[in-house]
Amino acid sequence: MSSIVPLHKSPKEMRQLIASRKIERVVVLGANGTMGYGSAALFTQAVPEVTFLARTKEKADDGLAAAIKQVRSPTVANRAKTGSYDDDLVSACADADLIFEALTEDFDLKKDIFDKVEGARRDDSIVATVTSGLSINKLCEGRSDSFRKNFLGLHFFNPPNVIVGTELIAGDDTDPAIVDFIDAFATVLLGREMIRTADTPAFAGNRVGFKVMNEVAQLTEEIGVALTDKLIGPYTGRAMTPLATVDLVGWDIHRAIVDNVYDNTNDEVRETNKLPGFMATLMDKGVLGNKSGGGFFKKDGKTRLVLDPASGDYTPESEIKLPDLGYIDEVAALHRDGRYKEGMAVFANAEGEHAKIARKVIAGYVAYAFQRVGEVTETIDGIDRIMGMGFNVAPPSVLVDALGAKATVDMIAEAGLDVPAALAEAAQTEKKTGEPKRFFNHTRINVGKFFVAE
Amino acid sequence: MAAGSEVYILGGYQTDFARNWTKENKHFSALMRESVVGALEACEIAPEEVESAHVGNFAAELYCMQGHLGAFFTEVDPAFSGLPTSRHEAACASGSIALLAASAEIEAGRYDLQAVVGIEQMKTVDSGKGGTYLGTAAWFEEEAEGIDAPFPKLFGRLGDEYDKRYGLKDEHLAEISKINYANAKLNPNAQTRTWYMNKDHALDRSDDNPAIGGRIRISDCSQVTDGAVTLFLASREYAEKWAKGVGKKLSEIPRMKGWGHNTARLKFDDKVAESANDQYVLPHVRSTVMNAMKRAGIDGVDGIDGIETHDCFTTSEYMAIDHFGITAPGESWKAVEEGWLEIDGKHPINPSGGLIGAGHPVGATGCRQVLDAQLQVTGQAGAYQVEGAKNFQTLNIGGSGTTSCSFVVGVD
Repeated sequence: MSSIVPLHKSPKEMRQLIASRKIERVVVLGANGTMGYGSAALFTQAVPEVTFLARTKEKADDGLAAAIKQVRSPTVANRAKTGSYDDDLVSACADADLIFEALTEDFDLKKDIFDKVEGARRDDSIVATVTSGLSINKLCEGRSDSFRKNFLGLHFFNPPNVIVGTELIAGDDTDPAIVDFIDAFATVLLGREMIRTADTPAFAGNRVGFKVMNEVAQLTEEIGVALTDKLIGPYTGRAMTPLATVDLVGWDIHRAIVDNVYDNTNDEVRETNKLPGFMATLMDKGVLGNKSGGGFFKKDGKTRLVLDPASGDYTPESEIKLPDLGYIDEVAALHRDGRYKEGMAVFANAEGEHAKIARKVIAGYVAYAFQRVGEVTETIDGIDRIMGMGFNVAPPSVLVDALGAKATVDMIAEAGLDVPAALAEAAQTEKKTGEPKRFFNHTRINVGKFFVAE
Repeated sequence: MAAGSEVYILGGYQTDFARNWTKENKHFSALMRESVVGALEACEIAPEEVESAHVGNFAAELYCMQGHLGAFFTEVDPAFSGLPTSRHEAACASGSIALLAASAEIEAGRYDLQAVVGIEQMKTVDSGKGGTYLGTAAWFEEEAEGIDAPFPKLFGRLGDEYDKRYGLKDEHLAEISKINYANAKLNPNAQTRTWYMNKDHALDRSDDNPAIGGRIRISDCSQVTDGAVTLFLASREYAEKWAKGVGKKLSEIPRMKGWGHNTARLKFDDKVAESANDQYVLPHVRSTVMNAMKRAGIDGVDGIDGIETHDCFTTSEYMAIDHFGITAPGESWKAVEEGWLEIDGKHPINPSGGLIGAGHPVGATGCRQVLDAQLQVTGQAGAYQVEGAKNFQTLNIGGSGTTSCSFVVGVD
């Protein structure tokens, strides 16, 4: 598991590492897709020549136009070339220092393009994939030694110009020196927050993040979309609610990720990764979230409409009567004054079935994250950083610090889940000494930003 | 001239300058609380220990409809009830003025431990209104009223004055912008750390990088920022006790070795007229910088390992380069071309990203600069650390070069 140990280097050592090899030409494959053009734009900040490739040159040109629009700088074009796989892949890959694959998440499609890359690349060029969850080892299975040695996962989150959390995944045969180099390059020159993860399904961020989103989607079948959205709202440590996030990323992407995890893992809460039946049914009718005009929520002019999962019909939000959720107002008022611990204490102690439902989801998130330590990242810190800087939600450790270990353990027990050993131990120590153990130790990172006062 | 001080800087805390507190639906009190509580935790200081507190802020009355900011200390912790507090204002130099007041009280022997907060919440209003509010740092009726973006225009004229006297190329300003943005990528609390920038973009002359005040384009500007920084200043006696408690030697605790503070004529035209026969365009800024060095017993900029300067616009950093003595007057471009300003360079400027890269919450900037200086000389600046830095100098400017403050922060 040495590949998931984070890079520990001083700034000077990082700069020396970057100087140890040159990245002057990057080729982006699939440069017309969202991740393709977003990543290509990112590279143009630090690399003199970035080639956008797609099936046709027209599509690659569209990618370049989208990149310019995304980062709002026509200067992207100064450093960009465009071309098609048929006409330009061989020559572009022959010159490239880094070949970055960003095709659709389809194993066979990626395999085909790697066949072409393998024939064209120099032995010392780095090949990276932006896959959000396909196995790095399987993607390079059967390839040459030099390919496997220089192959890794470099998982930017969408949109890469805004979200800095990035996963770095080595295969079994990846040269550790290449992993260290890419780590330093992306950190210093691309401003990335790098998290090393194991080659496990959906890696770290999507494994933990989509589990929560899917569990919340399942919950809508029982208590409805509006109430679910209010209960797992910003006050629980997030700028965007889980349901709004599913609509934003797209139901199809959501399905691909949770299906991958459901099919290829067998953890303690596997059923929370099972896609709700109503989502599959509605997807057959074309519901894909924001990109299809609506998902859990839809806009009708200025009116926000809310989905009824059973019927697929929409109702204006204003017509939905929610139960009394006074405790949320109380938490939000405390958050508004920056009294986050006090706010979370109100949440932990709130009475009634609804607060209990919300606590079950939050406790489930924290417990699931701590149970994945050693499996997807070396320590909880990797999961903390990708949740904070990839998903923009309160990292599990931040929630534990805000609640206290004992209250967290109580919440996990109330939810009927197994208590992770690290938390049980911290709760014991807290009880004995009266001193809470601090889990999130990035002293310069503000934790208050995660607790939105709504 | 009064001697350098025996005021120690124990440490502090900065809020993330990328945050928008209005979007988080948070009150001014939360911004204050996070920075003060963060500093108490970072320095392992109990609130009961603090003897006096100062707040530097420019215009909370305008941006937040809130005055009487010192009193917000009493909301942070019950132990602050009864604490002597005050608030200080000198436009963008407000944070430094609060630090000067606090250090003077320590030197006078009144108090041993002071909390100093620099704070500004600016994203409460749109950019037009915000630009007008900032205009009150100039002579409003004569230089700002009815003018769109008055300050970019004033600092555009600073560039014009350089151009007239010595010649000035936009590509040198673009390089300054590029370095600040690149450094900001290394700073976890910099506002622009995710923004797209390289030299091509800084030189872009399209609508994506519009001119907003003469030669000043968007890429030449500092940011509209919400942010707060709290610092703890202490007497030698308290610092000695505190150092022992946290397992450090007194010699490892940075001192405010020197300070400079001047005020020039308020209107930009008057300043320029005054300096017509001077080799420095803003001579009062020059004397502020030199006074701080002299008080610190440092003989020129070669004794300074890095600078956090007031780059409210690229032209103000361009001005700072020769005013610090890095080059002869009018030759700031040489330092740009030689790569001296980069983190690994001979005279690193704004490793934090400065006001352009890290952000510029007006009243907080002076404190943010001193916090970054403290982090640098204690080897805690992380990815933007200047190797082996022992002395760092700040330059904080209010108005169009009107009030200037400078500190030399260092260890022995």
